[in-house]
Amino acid sequence: MEALGYLMHGFSIALQPQNILFAIIGCFLGTLIGVLPGIGPAGGTAMLIPVTFVLDPTPAIIMLAAIYYGAMYGGTITSVLVNVPGEAASAITCIEGYEMAKRGRAGPALAVAAIGSFIGGNVATVGLVLLALPLTNLALKFGPPEFFALMFVGLSLVTGLAGKSMVRALISAVFGLMVAMIGIDPVMGAPRFSFGVTELLDGFGIVPVAMGVFGIGEILLNAEGEVTEIIDTKLSQLWLSMDDIKASVWPVIRGTFIGFFLGLIPGVGAVVPTFIAYVAEKKTSKYPEKFGTGMIEGVASPETANNAYANAAMIPLFTLGIPGSPTIAILMGAFMMNGLIPGPFLFKEHADFVWAVIASLYIGNLILVIMNLPMIPLWVAVLKIPYSILYALILAFCAIGAYSLDNSIFDVGAMMGWGIIGYIFKKLDIPLAPLVLTLILGPLMERGLRQSLEISRGDMTIFFTRPISGGLMLIGFAFILLASFQAINRVRGEDSQL
Amino acid sequence: MQKTMRRPYQIAGIVLILFAAFIARESLELKYYTTLGPGPGFFPFWLSVLMGVLAAIMFVQATFRQAEPMPDDFYGSRVGYLRALAVIVSFVWLVFTMEGIGFRISMAVFFAWLLLTLGRQKGVIGWIIMIGLTAAGSWGAFWLFNDVLKVILPLGPWGF
Repeated sequence: MEALGYLMHGFSIALQPQNILFAIIGCFLGTLIGVLPGIGPAGGTAMLIPVTFVLDPTPAIIMLAAIYYGAMYGGTITSVLVNVPGEAASAITCIEGYEMAKRGRAGPALAVAAIGSFIGGNVATVGLVLLALPLTNLALKFGPPEFFALMFVGLSLVTGLAGKSMVRALISAVFGLMVAMIGIDPVMGAPRFSFGVTELLDGFGIVPVAMGVFGIGEILLNAEGEVTEIIDTKLSQLWLSMDDIKASVWPVIRGTFIGFFLGLIPGVGAVVPTFIAYVAEKKTSKYPEKFGTGMIEGVASPETANNAYANAAMIPLFTLGIPGSPTIAILMGAFMMNGLIPGPFLFKEHADFVWAVIASLYIGNLILVIMNLPMIPLWVAVLKIPYSILYALILAFCAIGAYSLDNSIFDVGAMMGWGIIGYIFKKLDIPLAPLVLTLILGPLMERGLRQSLEISRGDMTIFFTRPISGGLMLIGFAFILLASFQAINRVRGEDSQL
Repeated sequence: MQKTMRRPYQIAGIVLILFAAFIARESLELKYYTTLGPGPGFFPFWLSVLMGVLAAIMFVQATFRQAEPMPDDFYGSRVGYLRALAVIVSFVWLVFTMEGIGFRISMAVFFAWLLLTLGRQKGVIGWIIMIGLTAAGSWGAFWLFNDVLKVILPLGPWGF
């Protein structure tokens, strides 16, 4: 009840005209940053920190936080419309969102993403208000064995991303893990598979890979095939139907919980919750075989998880001063530049500021949905641009986005290379989602495994004797066994028909 | 007789087996195991073994099981391949010239090339759109990203 009183006071500050204005500016800039491929929330937030030097701490942080979750939504727009993820966390939305757009349902895809983001973001903020400290203490029990076990669960869900062939899905996943090994070894610091190329010491970034395999690969496929004008969408198809709403309710609920709980764990990153949310939908769906053809559940859940994660990731920052992701780390830098040290004492010493920022999260989520829903017809109109012009624009933005990551032309070339790989994979019907997922999970998993074995001096039972990691490992093995039985049954079913 | 995916998957299987063998060999040049646990070569080695096994399964399935039918659009037309190649060439151009002659000029050529090869709109309007887009995509994009968003883009030797 005390927290509610503080929150009401926070609203009285956040609802001041100046703070609302900066929340609106932040949401707009964040959406724009998310739309532009490559720049991403971390880069966008960092770029705009100097703008906040002239502001007081409260409006400055309100604006930066709005940029962060605005970028999470902005990345969805290009994922749905042109199959190019605006930022890495929106990559999974390409799978169903773009298929929906091809069928003239870009509007419902964007609408469910906006509404799901709003709900997920707000529920996560409620969690921040009510449950911050106890949940953060639980998250802090995550050491290297728990991290490895969590990544193992994520990896076991790769089976849920398989289409017709489990073997091809596993090939994609293993390929992603192998590519993730390129760079500096995370434990011993030895270079691996860089072949003397300095840029490869950092490995391949997820952004050029995702833009390449999803965006450039799709454009190569379309350019090679019978290119037609983009689907004409009627006005009546721009909004959610009653069937869409009914189909989205449980995915939004699941996505909220997945994004919220994973947001509490520092280091998980924004991509993992979206993939887990997608796989969860596929596994719980009555029609899993339809995933990949434009299922709205495959947009609702990941996008909700995305924003729930973005808001929940602030919890470890506020309560313990631990940034959960690169973007949160930049926000933490902004805090410190304004003389505020995130952590347990922040609530005591700067209660007005903290509760104003928390209240602004509610307001910002509302602004995002109010700002973006009416703009859906405008975004969908982009699809009417002739494909030659549209592709040239997309390719140019991708090139600029890839270059802007590290001011390196290598990333542009790498993105093109990954585009060719994405083209080949699509031709061979090898799913791309496992590749992207394992590219992210691989280094986290390897670091977790090797650090755990250093702690236990090589004893593998460490993963099963600790309660949290033991539980997660069992869940992971259960998923693998279930997927194996389903695959065997499918093969037996095909053989009996021969 | 309907074409199947037998040959493409056999080729893919062989390529992946060779890739796995290469990575396995490179992994063995790294430390496999240390006193503190797995070394840098441990994971890549076993991943390459796994990849080899999966690729072999793909090859065997393609050879001995009933092959999937080949989609009608699996092979593109000559014009289609040329369009795809044009996209690749445009990026090769950027990679080799953007830092040398500057963003604006290299992107102008990039845009003009793509608009010409992917399908320019017909008539005078088509040329106007092409010139306008080329200018906007090069000089306009430079202003937006370099000047407004402070994303540093390369300049050429002539200062622009």
